[in-house]
Amino acid sequence: MANVTFPFPFPDHLITLMPEMIVAIMAMFLLLFDVFVAKGSKTTAYLAIATTVAAGVATWSLQGPDPLVAFYGFFVFDSFAVFSKFLIYVATALGMILSLEYMKNEKHIGEYYVLMLFAMLGMMLMVSSNNFVTMYLGLELMALCVYVLVAYQREVLRANEAALKYFILGALSSGMLLYGITFLYGVTGSFDFAVMGEKLAHAEGDATAAVMLGMVFLIAGLGFKVSMAPFHMWTPDAYEGAPTPVTAFMSVAPKVAGFVIFMRIVADLLPALQHEYQSILIGVAVLTIAVGNLAAIAQRNIKRMLAYSTVGHVGFIMMGLIAGSPAGFSGILVYLSIYLVMTMGVFAVIILMRREGIQGELLDDFAGLSKVRPGYALAMGLFMFSMAGIPFLGGFWAKYVVFMAAVEAGHLYLVLYALLFSAVGAFYYLRVVKYIYFDEERVAFNFIESRPMQATVFVTAVTIVFLGLFPDALFELCRQALVGLV
Amino acid sequence: MIGLSDYLIVAAALFSLGVIGLFLNRKNVITILMCIELMLLAVNINFVAFSHYLNDLSGQIFVFFVLTVAACEVAVGLAILVSFYRLRRSIDIEDINTLQG
Repeated sequence: MANVTFPFPFPDHLITLMPEMIVAIMAMFLLLFDVFVAKGSKTTAYLAIATTVAAGVATWSLQGPDPLVAFYGFFVFDSFAVFSKFLIYVATALGMILSLEYMKNEKHIGEYYVLMLFAMLGMMLMVSSNNFVTMYLGLELMALCVYVLVAYQREVLRANEAALKYFILGALSSGMLLYGITFLYGVTGSFDFAVMGEKLAHAEGDATAAVMLGMVFLIAGLGFKVSMAPFHMWTPDAYEGAPTPVTAFMSVAPKVAGFVIFMRIVADLLPALQHEYQSILIGVAVLTIAVGNLAAIAQRNIKRMLAYSTVGHVGFIMMGLIAGSPAGFSGILVYLSIYLVMTMGVFAVIILMRREGIQGELLDDFAGLSKVRPGYALAMGLFMFSMAGIPFLGGFWAKYVVFMAAVEAGHLYLVLYALLFSAVGAFYYLRVVKYIYFDEERVAFNFIESRPMQATVFVTAVTIVFLGLFPDALFELCRQALVGLV
Repeated sequence: MIGLSDYLIVAAALFSLGVIGLFLNRKNVITILMCIELMLLAVNINFVAFSHYLNDLSGQIFVFFVLTVAACEVAVGLAILVSFYRLRRSIDIEDINTLQG
């Protein structure tokens, strides 16, 4: 046995986990606290939102020029983790704000916010992991909470069915991920990304076959989590069936965590296998971009359409991974940040469309919106234009940075292909705008008034316009977040 | 003498059985849960075999985490299944068909 040193590294190592500890303790506290509050009270929700803010403050106060390491390298706290944690905090907090109105009629609502906090905790561990053990535990903590969140409306059949499908395919993907990890472990004898990367560079003979097998399973397992085609089958069903705020949450936060861990693996674990993983990823990206953008055209339900649009965006984000350069990686962070803002805004508008007797999820429900609520219509139009990548809105710069990075890395044909499908994608985004502005009202609009929701729509719309006009600050932030990784 | 490759072959066979069972099974969701368990146990055999072969304990420690998570996973899965059964009065795969498109 290696010599185990005591005393346990406390407190200077544990201080690194301050944000995680705050979230874990508050989540457990809220579970108890919720028993004592009156039914219908929103106190638990507000405390949960306050917890994400507290975690943000703790993360901010801990960050410094040098990366911190805890638990003998199992947990890292570098600028990359800080940036992705902030994306996760924002996504979770917005997800909770969107839930305030949508979930207010649920009988047992306290646990809902606790599950969101635990899912956030899982993602925080994931983005800070430097090791397959931490990564796997974070991933499962996140996934198990999200399965339950999807099924939260127990009396709704489609929510249960969505959760069941999501659970089965999610469990399959975890199995594949683990199977891949076993082979990489068998070749290297370690779970640490950097140590494994070092050893993988020298693998030869029988070991190369095992490495390839392990890598393929690893990419497939992670591909499921970020919904790359052909592993995207769960996405439309889970998005449609889940309560809309959960859809908003799960279309952003797990994608951020998934891509961050993908970047860590590509940068630390697989640099020696660049040629191999690039050819796999190019094939997957070609398929993902096509499937996402083509299947979205056929959808009448906007949540389903956005699910396929997410698949398309994932394909575009993958171009940054394929580039494999610092520009590509910072492009991914830019894309994820802008995607977060757009998606949250779109789902906020969709939730506002829900009214007496109507889910407000069909494209037809949006017809004639501009005449009744020009504000919502304008915001939705902005988000749709931004998602389509029309210049001088945030979404344009997101696509621009990853495409430029891919061109610089010599993948010109792939970029032309992506541009072609980006134009196809513009069709179904702009169709929504057509419904809003040029069609006649079909169902009477009778909106719920909710200040937090309207504020979310306003803030996200303004952010998208602002990022479209002044993207440089975000670019610089993302570049700095990568210092130390690549 | 049983070598490393024998363990890996057994694990590969179990894993494939799990995956094939998951896709070919058209009857019952409980069978799917069993297939998932089979996959995770195949993974554990791999870990233990490699760990013994490499003379490194970390693989066996990972097995404990995998076992724990597998138990949680089944608990969540069965809970969702029970809630589905209450509404649909069936756990046949053919009846999981409300969402399509």
